[in-house]
Amino acid sequence: MRKPFLYLAERALLVLISVVVLFPIAWMFLTAFKQPRDAYSLSLNFEPTLQNFVTVFSDPWNLGSMVLNSVVVATVTVVIAVPCAALAAYSFSRFRVKGRKFLFFLILSTQFIPAVVIVLPFFLMFRQLDLLDTRIALIIVNLAIVTPFVIWMIKGFIDAIPTDSEEAAMIDGASRLRVIKDIVMPMAAPGILTSSIFCFILTWNEFLFALILSRRDAVTLPVGLVSFRTERGDLWELMSAAGVMITVPIFIMALFIQKHFTRGMTAGAVK
Amino acid sequence: MAEVRLVDIEKKYGSFLAVPKQSLTIHDGEFLVLLGPSGCGKTTTMRMIAGLEDITSGDIMIREERINDKPPKDRDIAMVFQNYGLYPHMTVRQNIEYPLKLRGIAKAARTKRVQETADKVELGALLDRRPSELSGGQRQRVALARAIVRTPSIFLMDEPLSNLDAKLRVTMRAELKHLHHELGVTTVYVTHDQMEAMTLATRVAVMREGRIVQLDTPKKIYAEPADLFVAGFIGSPSMNLIDGKVSDGVFRADGVNVPVDLPNRDGVVLGIRPEELEITDDATAPIGGQLYALELTGESTLVTLRNGPVSACARGHADFEAEINSPCYLTPKPGARFHLFDRASGERLDGVKH
Repeated sequence: MRKPFLYLAERALLVLISVVVLFPIAWMFLTAFKQPRDAYSLSLNFEPTLQNFVTVFSDPWNLGSMVLNSVVVATVTVVIAVPCAALAAYSFSRFRVKGRKFLFFLILSTQFIPAVVIVLPFFLMFRQLDLLDTRIALIIVNLAIVTPFVIWMIKGFIDAIPTDSEEAAMIDGASRLRVIKDIVMPMAAPGILTSSIFCFILTWNEFLFALILSRRDAVTLPVGLVSFRTERGDLWELMSAAGVMITVPIFIMALFIQKHFTRGMTAGAVK
Repeated sequence: MAEVRLVDIEKKYGSFLAVPKQSLTIHDGEFLVLLGPSGCGKTTTMRMIAGLEDITSGDIMIREERINDKPPKDRDIAMVFQNYGLYPHMTVRQNIEYPLKLRGIAKAARTKRVQETADKVELGALLDRRPSELSGGQRQRVALARAIVRTPSIFLMDEPLSNLDAKLRVTMRAELKHLHHELGVTTVYVTHDQMEAMTLATRVAVMREGRIVQLDTPKKIYAEPADLFVAGFIGSPSMNLIDGKVSDGVFRADGVNVPVDLPNRDGVVLGIRPEELEITDDATAPIGGQLYALELTGESTLVTLRNGPVSACARGHADFEAEINSPCYLTPKPGARFHLFDRASGERLDGVKH
């Protein structure tokens, strides 16, 4: 039997942590529905309004085009990065090529470089190519950021798949590519889905490069948020409304991840 | 149907020699078992035939066609893996159907073949389950069905029964034997279980450290092991191997005196199988010592005697009883034969008197 005091202390700690974590999120959600004058008040007694959402989607904020930019950039990045990364991950996992470990380390090491250091060369490069303030530029940059990470993640999932089934398929008459398509990818599917969602979230929330490389046409949601800091002060109620727009899709995806992540863990192979 | 010839094949992993240069011919329709302890190169040899492993040098011929550079899919082989190698995301039906699908066989023909094959291995009722919902024996049957569904010219089986429990292993062994009889397909079978090798094989290749040390029928391998290693590996309980020397035409060790036709020398090993010895009260019997242990196996009793460093086991009558440490004598049954080996090289020596 556990000591009741310990039990209570444990619960209290959990509640405290939850409050610290959840308070800013709750505050954002509440503020999104408040009038400007209530924004700084902690009182729950206010008159809810949807006006903030209407405002952020109309001139001069035009959140709609930012939502579109974010969706396009994140989706295209995922659609290109994940298949490429899956093939690369398979190769790293299965082929015993000389220098394989070094190459893998090299790819991962790109993740250690602070983004601030390389943002300027990227800026100059895209200016030269006349790609500043375009979605293409953001997609290219995001691909460079997420692909190594996704390769590393998917490789972990493919490593866990025993080679027996693959060899069986090759003997059954499948080519290497067919094996990847018919056997490896379905078996790694939960992992690949999880990686895709992580990839989407990373791109969705990417701030620094989007800030530097976009001006007007290609502005994404996280950058758009900054525009609510005006000379009139911080428009918290509008920023919150936009924040909700950023958070909700990710929140829904997090629910997905949970479901598939546990499935990814339990599906496994047949012994 | 096909003959498989391995010509001077060799396999190296870096500087490690896994399979030294050797040749082997597997006859058309034969059930050849590669037998040996783990790490002896038997699985590597099979994987080279399958095309899952490159050959360092030499040639592999199937039906007189050199297939070294062909991918596994073009070798017309089927393989059953130790861990079954099933596709966990497909149903039993899809698993069995997959090789047919890859070969572009029409849907209607596929369905028919899958059903026939499944019935043959008694899986007919389980076609819509997934491998994870099956028992070990059933999974093994799916692997088997997937191998036989497209009637390849060669079957490769890599320890297919080693993950099953003892009882199921015996049943499946009989099924495999029957299946081979029915289909008559050339089969190469890898195992470390000498009982499986003896019961299934047309011929057995006993391997040690990558080398085939004896290739012969199970009967011949049992009756005339080529060297000390084969003698000790085949048979359960294994052959009694007694260290001693020859002087004046008699093999001598503690309590052991067997007349042989060899000049005087040291470092000789005498071998005789437990089932070829019987217990006697005759103190002049060739092997004598104190009773060390009695083990009832059901149909017989294993009687072990010791005399100094010498230990010998005989398969006696199930009713045999005696006091431990009492004197005990063993004599060869009529028609039984002794084997002689050189201790240092392990080679078989001629000179047994009958």
